[in-house]
Amino acid sequence: MLRLSLRNLLVNKLRLLLTLSAVTVGVSFVSGTYVLSDTMVKAFDELFTGLTSGTDVVVRAEAAYDADITTTGGQLRPLDEQVVDDVRRVPGVAGAEGTVAGFALIVGPDGEPIQPKGAPTFGTNLHADRALSGAGRIREGRLPAGPDDLVVDATTAEKAGFRLGDRVDVIFEQGRRTFTLVGTVGFGDNDSILGATLAGFDLHTAQLVLGKPGQVDEVDVRAEPGVGAAELRSRIAEVLPAGTEAVTGEQAADEGVEQTREALGIFTTVLLVFAGVALLVGSFVIWNTFNVLVAQRRRTVALMRAVGATRRQVLGGVLVEAALVGLVAGLLGLVVGVGLAAAIRSLLTLVDVELPTTSPAVEPRTVVVALAVGLGVTIVAALLPAWVAARVSPMEALRETPAPTRGSGRVRHTAGWAVLAVGTALLAWCAVQGNQRWWTVVATGTTFLGLVFVGPMLARGLSRLTDRGRPGSPWRMASGNVRRGSRRAAATALALTIGLAVVVAVAVTAASLKDSVTEAVEGGNRSDLILEPAGLGPGISSSVADVLRERDDVGAVVEMREWGAQVDGDGVLVTGVDTVGLDRVIDLGVESGSLTALRPGRILVGSTDAERLGVGPGDELTVTFTETGPQRFEVAGTFDKGSLVNATYVITLPDYDANVTSRLDAAILMTSAPGVDPDEAKAAIERAVRDYPNVTVSTPEDVTRDARASVDQLLGIVTALLLLAVVVAVLGIVNTLALSVLERTRELGLLRAIGATPPQVRALVRRESVLMAVLGAGTGVALGVGAGVALARALEAEGITTVTLPALTLVGYVVVAVLVGVLAAVGPARRAGRVDPLVSLAGAE
Amino acid sequence: MTTSLPRPAHGISGSPATADERAYAARAVHARKVYGVGDTAVVALDDLSLDIPSRQFTAIMGPSGSGKSTLMHCLAGLDVLTSGTVLIRDTDLATLSDRERTILRRDRLGFVFQSFNLLPTLTARENITLPADLAGRRPDPEWFSTVVERLDIADRLAHRPSELSGGQQQRVAVARALINRPELVFADEPTGALDTKAGTELLTFLRAVVDQLGQTVVMVTHDPGAAAYADRVVFLVDGAIVETLDQPPRDAVLEVMGRLGG
Repeated sequence: MLRLSLRNLLVNKLRLLLTLSAVTVGVSFVSGTYVLSDTMVKAFDELFTGLTSGTDVVVRAEAAYDADITTTGGQLRPLDEQVVDDVRRVPGVAGAEGTVAGFALIVGPDGEPIQPKGAPTFGTNLHADRALSGAGRIREGRLPAGPDDLVVDATTAEKAGFRLGDRVDVIFEQGRRTFTLVGTVGFGDNDSILGATLAGFDLHTAQLVLGKPGQVDEVDVRAEPGVGAAELRSRIAEVLPAGTEAVTGEQAADEGVEQTREALGIFTTVLLVFAGVALLVGSFVIWNTFNVLVAQRRRTVALMRAVGATRRQVLGGVLVEAALVGLVAGLLGLVVGVGLAAAIRSLLTLVDVELPTTSPAVEPRTVVVALAVGLGVTIVAALLPAWVAARVSPMEALRETPAPTRGSGRVRHTAGWAVLAVGTALLAWCAVQGNQRWWTVVATGTTFLGLVFVGPMLARGLSRLTDRGRPGSPWRMASGNVRRGSRRAAATALALTIGLAVVVAVAVTAASLKDSVTEAVEGGNRSDLILEPAGLGPGISSSVADVLRERDDVGAVVEMREWGAQVDGDGVLVTGVDTVGLDRVIDLGVESGSLTALRPGRILVGSTDAERLGVGPGDELTVTFTETGPQRFEVAGTFDKGSLVNATYVITLPDYDANVTSRLDAAILMTSAPGVDPDEAKAAIERAVRDYPNVTVSTPEDVTRDARASVDQLLGIVTALLLLAVVVAVLGIVNTLALSVLERTRELGLLRAIGATPPQVRALVRRESVLMAVLGAGTGVALGVGAGVALARALEAEGITTVTLPALTLVGYVVVAVLVGVLAAVGPARRAGRVDPLVSLAGAE
Repeated sequence: MTTSLPRPAHGISGSPATADERAYAARAVHARKVYGVGDTAVVALDDLSLDIPSRQFTAIMGPSGSGKSTLMHCLAGLDVLTSGTVLIRDTDLATLSDRERTILRRDRLGFVFQSFNLLPTLTARENITLPADLAGRRPDPEWFSTVVERLDIADRLAHRPSELSGGQQQRVAVARALINRPELVFADEPTGALDTKAGTELLTFLRAVVDQLGQTVVMVTHDPGAAAYADRVVFLVDGAIVETLDQPPRDAVLEVMGRLGG
């Protein structure tokens, strides 16, 4: 049987290639995602290990919980620097030095801040003890030794063109200062730490400029020769004050890697979802291909059954064929995935996202998953066709004409329409109800299942619609063919349905999000100007607000800071705000309680979360901060228009500062003083904050425009990723057409013999393709609109307050789908046009 | 099948042909067709010359591999000669492009195949008018009804091929071959897939098509009974004509076939 399966596969290489690629695309996406994230984790691992290679023990404050590094920057509660001396006195300690780290944005010679994309800009002190700096080494010049000395990483020095002795400006949380460049630093083979910019000082200067006088974030300890890290760790732990912990250097490095892995986890999950969509589409293509193959081989199968093959052997034969396809697709996908990961890395480097240098990491897990997914998807998709093949009666080998294909039964009709109705009703209910995330998924799935059932009927319906014009015209003949192979046409179209439905749902959600943003700004904003960090900067110095407050032309100034914390075990963002003037810059839409009740010790909670937590004004709510642990607040009120500033938990700045070390403002909202010309206000404020080139001054209109643009950008990326699934669907159409051209060679030959010209035959194939594409596009857009509306409504709590249908985009998708249909038919149509009229005269094969 | 077809009585065209009627519908002149090259080359037609008279029923017979199918393919413009000439009336097929040959087939020739070859998605009516539709022409309604009545399928026009008997399907195929009033109708083993009764009916119809509608029919067959319906039977062996019988009785055909080893 194996040999027969192999032969069957190799009979038509083009078909094999198309079938393979349907699975390969999805698998390569999966393996590429794994390779990329594994490679990044490996790189981080190497880097962290290098950085901490000379450190045996690290002393630091205990975190209340393992916070997400992306919302807290890994900041722990700073320790009193007295602890450094305490640790030094522990027997077995060869050396111990305190470290502080914080926000430090280096200003380039052109006055522009050096802001890397997606990497931090941090300031720290450099260890005098060479061994403690691990892989970190002075490349040029010397260590900083005074309040005026600055060292930067080699990448930044090269990018900015700094030379030793240059005067260099650095922006901190609390102002801007000028230093003299005395050295550059590198880290083993790397010129920077993952593209982050580093401004290095001596400890005392670092403490001052980073706002941590007399404090250290951690103490790095080196053991005397012969003293083990674990042993030293427990000795040190004994002298530490409460709330402080000692861990080995190795452990600290591992934690760093683990945090990176977690931060990458979301990214990995998102990519895997896209891969899943592509695989789902691919499985439909496989299903359909095997259906067609089995249909074409009925006579052969019957013959084999007649000469003694058992049902099990027939079933096994088809499955072995599927397994071979799956295996090869898995292997190919793996190879392509590794290449894909490398390509994405170079792409990221092109757009200035620096990644540490390392070889690509292909973990055993990646290989196993790639092969398992390739095999699994293919075999599952081929199961049903294989079963159909096994049920072929040996009698069919003896019959002259093939048995008429079974139409879909009444049961299937009724069940199909029922499922479709239930799905549609559920979608409608989700859209009306709002905030039904899981039900939306269920409803979309159900509707799709319904479409799978009624697909052949829709195909027949569509063919009836297009069955117009002269008899024998390509439209009529194509319609007839679609009607005859309605199951196949439907299965082909369904692959496109999935792809398009997802793309359309995303487009609808994005359009709704854009309009919601506009609405939020227009409906909730009362400020005249909004100051935000430029580019991907983490925030703006709080000294900027001080500059504003001193001006006569400025009315209210409200600083907003945000940091990660936990409520009820879930990670949330807590926003700290100035209470004075808050109601003059923003309408939070207070629903219960009042804005004026917001005082230290109190908290405002977004209505959706308040409802979920079951709290209202006067109730108590515990917020856990990484640095200070659980803190109790009294709920001052609830609000429902927080989306403008992305706020759900709002506390006062004094409370915020007591629990969070960072003093960076996420945004500053301000109003102009009465009588100030709004056109001039922006320019005036821009001049006033000239010292802070990392600050963008925007009018509410600018904010709306930028927000809409960034939604568009995100939509573009997501759509591009989803288009892969559409590409797979198109491959499916090509595959089906190629197979049916092959199947109908005699029929096409007959047409040629009685006088159809090659263009007429090509037109026939093209029309069929267009019909399938239209069916896929129609159902895809319909399902996508339904799912998109329900999804947008499901994300109401996330700030999508309005639903918009991007009509033009939707029409565009349908037009593109039809073009895709024409395009997919090019190859098969050419093949059909070349069919020799003589084949129709050959006797029955 | 080869034994029971009775010798039909000839129709009204039994009278001597006039000069005009003796005009040729098609001619093959020094036709040579070689498949393959070198040692593997097979000569299918070997310097063969043949005239197909207008308004007559010509049968081409011969054992398997005698070149009768190749001859028909080349006459019909489905295949091209290695050397020599095929003329459809005055048109030299060798001078035509593939597209021109296609249009010639569509407008001037008709085909009937052994295995019916109807399009399963089209009704009988649509199958019949297909050549006209492909040409973008409206079939002549009078001619259409003449043909379908003569072939006795007028009441089956709305049916799809799967709803017709084999004989009916083949008659639809004949109607399709006639719809453009072709100069020449080619039939390739038209009774091969039919039972005896349906086969007899079909041959009677073909005879009537020649006698009453004035068409020219060329039929390839290896069935002497079928050949006996023809005005003229041409015997082929190894790509060359070895004998020609006019108005042959069935026994004469049988005798020649037996001699030729068919």
